[in-house]
Amino acid sequence: MIVTIVLAVFVLTGACATARALIGPTLADRVAAFDVGLIALMGGIVTQAVETGDTVALDLLVVVAIVGFTATVAVSRFIESQGSAR
Amino acid sequence: MNPITATLMLLGAGLSLLSGIGLLRFSTPYARFHAAGKASPIAFVVVAVGAMFEVGTAGAARLVLASAAMLLTLPVGVHLLFRAVHRTTPDEHLRIDELAPAEQQSDRPDPPAAPSTDDQGGAGLDDR
Repeated sequence: MIVTIVLAVFVLTGACATARALIGPTLADRVAAFDVGLIALMGGIVTQAVETGDTVALDLLVVVAIVGFTATVAVSRFIESQGSAR
Repeated sequence: MNPITATLMLLGAGLSLLSGIGLLRFSTPYARFHAAGKASPIAFVVVAVGAMFEVGTAGAARLVLASAAMLLTLPVGVHLLFRAVHRTTPDEHLRIDELAPAEQQSDRPDPPAAPSTDDQGGAGLDDR
């Protein structure tokens, strides 16, 4: 029951992030929305591990965090070199 | 499920939903970056601390590693986005802008040849 509620809330967070990524006026807004969507994905992975007691998927968390950070840094450098955030 | 785990996971999920709502509803990019960069790592850490009571020692170690990576990287990435927006789009909504004079001041000693030739004493000390 609690797992279902928590997963539903994470899905709502992902929906908010997807909406901001679609309507976000600047590229930086889309990247921030991508970060929040990754947080929702990581929370979903943790919730699934708690429900099943299977810790294999927890290895993905560090990978997802570092991939998200690398993407954010790359896009912010791209925005600065391009000269506009649109 | 452990009641501590249930409480912390519900709390963390609620924090992440607040972060998503802030990201969706705030009107300026800076306010949206605040919502994205500060609430969501805390939300993940709260969820991870709750889950540590359920997944055993090996799972708890992975959760600690992921929480540390998240707390170290996400605010830095959002800060870089903030700076990129500040540099590329000039201030539309800012009432107080302390970064622009600071960047101008840090740009001023950037060509070091011109001031060091102007005042003789400092240049002599630097050359030695």
